[in-house]
Amino acid sequence: MILRKFEYLRPASIKEALELYDKFEGGAVYLSGGTDLVPRMKLGLERPSAVIDIKQIAPLKRVEDQGEWVKIGSLVPLFDLRQEGWVVDNFPALKASLDATSCETLQMRGTIGGNLLQNSRCLFYNQSVFWRKSKGFCFKMGGDKCNAVPGAKRCFANYCSDNATSLSTLTCELELSGPDGARRIALDELYSGKPGKPFKVRAGEILTAIFVKKENTQGGYEKLRLRGSIDYPLLGLAFSLKDGKGTLAVGAVGAKPRAVELTEFKKDSVKEAVDTLLKDLTPVNNTVVEASYRKQMVPVMAERLIKKTVEGA
Amino acid sequence: MEQFKIISFEVNGEPIEVEVRPHETLLETLRNRLELTGAKEGCGLGACGSCTVLVNGVPTRSCIVLTAEVEGSKITTIEGLAEGERLDPLQESFMEKGAVQCGFCTPGMILTAKALLDRNPRPTKEEIITTLSSNVCRCTGYKKILEAVEAASSQ
Ligand SMILES: Cc1cc2nc3c(=O)[nH]c(=O)nc-3n(C[C@H](O)[C@H](O)[C@H](O)COP(=O)(O)OP(=O)(O)OC[C@H]3O[C@@H](n4cnc5c(N)ncnc54)[C@H](O)[C@@H]3O)c2cc1C
Repeated sequence: MILRKFEYLRPASIKEALELYDKFEGGAVYLSGGTDLVPRMKLGLERPSAVIDIKQIAPLKRVEDQGEWVKIGSLVPLFDLRQEGWVVDNFPALKASLDATSCETLQMRGTIGGNLLQNSRCLFYNQSVFWRKSKGFCFKMGGDKCNAVPGAKRCFANYCSDNATSLSTLTCELELSGPDGARRIALDELYSGKPGKPFKVRAGEILTAIFVKKENTQGGYEKLRLRGSIDYPLLGLAFSLKDGKGTLAVGAVGAKPRAVELTEFKKDSVKEAVDTLLKDLTPVNNTVVEASYRKQMVPVMAERLIKKTVEGA
Repeated sequence: MEQFKIISFEVNGEPIEVEVRPHETLLETLRNRLELTGAKEGCGLGACGSCTVLVNGVPTRSCIVLTAEVEGSKITTIEGLAEGERLDPLQESFMEKGAVQCGFCTPGMILTAKALLDRNPRPTKEEIITTLSSNVCRCTGYKKILEAVEAASSQ
């Protein structure tokens, strides 16, 4: 599989990266580990005129303890983050989702910034041009239909970041730097809620850091997938518990992770929390397993995860 | 007109300079320009691991890395593992245990295992399984591959 032509650029600073981005008038993309971007370019889902490799920007590679927050540089590889003291000791949901992301080799290349900004996926979308042409282009490709749900008026692609789901159960903020300066937003503000175009990142903005509030939590992450390795999540559930207050999140269904809070952890309360979450979730047949199976697994995995966490707490 | 760039890096201990296109993958450069055909193209999308090489000691899927990205790096391919006539203990062990069926995944398996043993010379069986699950073997010969890595790690 070959890549189409583009220019390759390697800025040494954020300022330089932003200037380069500007030069290409919307035709450039940023490259971190490339484990999401390069396959997308190979499939012709992304056709940039320039690829701006930001890996030389050293400040983005650090993890810093900043009093109330842990600041994680966007270029920190997932594999390194798995071994960070704060993550191991205090954010078990994040630790578990990092462990469950793709496989070790991809964790060594893939960064946390790229993980959060990975594009949404669909069985009928992440395919070659040849394959996609045979069905006709869908909403996400700029067409006027959904190939997963005949007759549907919108896109149902799934945002499959394992770690966005676990970070949704912690207090998490993001720092972005763009042509108009830097801004800091809550993780949930990253998302548009639209599966076809999942992020509200402004043109040229670089995700520079992920801030996680230094709180001591218990928790975990459960991932549904066919193989125990390499596979993207078909469903991801994260749970974090702090001072008797829990947050449960579901990811890999639709445009963004959905979270709900709960303070009682008995079967009925968990069921209630799951029912609240399910109201916002519309799994459809756009993965390798049936939508009904994914839906049925939400309460099963939620109960298992919460029970394990509460018993261990 | 196609733009070429000169990229310098080290391959199997040899410093090299090679003219590449900006959109060329490391796998294409290794196989087509440097005639190092040990790394294989399986899926071409970063999923299967048969194109794995070491970049500064880190196992890397060379089909989804641009050659331009490895400027200044040290690359090890399967061709660079033996020292002269002496094979790496992992290569010996793969032969000894018959851990090769069609052989397509073997270079990637060995290099992934090599990186593991370099950072953790005595991994548990569980750790070997976790590491090797980055790579797909379609002959499903995992048992012997695991045995080979276990044997090499206890040497
Ligand atoms: C076979 C396979 C299996 C996978 N399985 C999983 C899985 O199970 N779970 C999972 O979560 N992911 C999975 N992934 C996806 C991917 O490996 C990870 O999400 C990885 O963390 C992406 O990081 P990256 O640095 O490689 O991102 P890149 O590919 O470099 O970038 C991803 C996107 O974000 C943009 N971008 C990157 N960094 C920045 C930045 N700092 N600022 C602004 N924009 C930026 C890029 O332009 C691109 O659009 C898988 C990938 C493959 C190939």
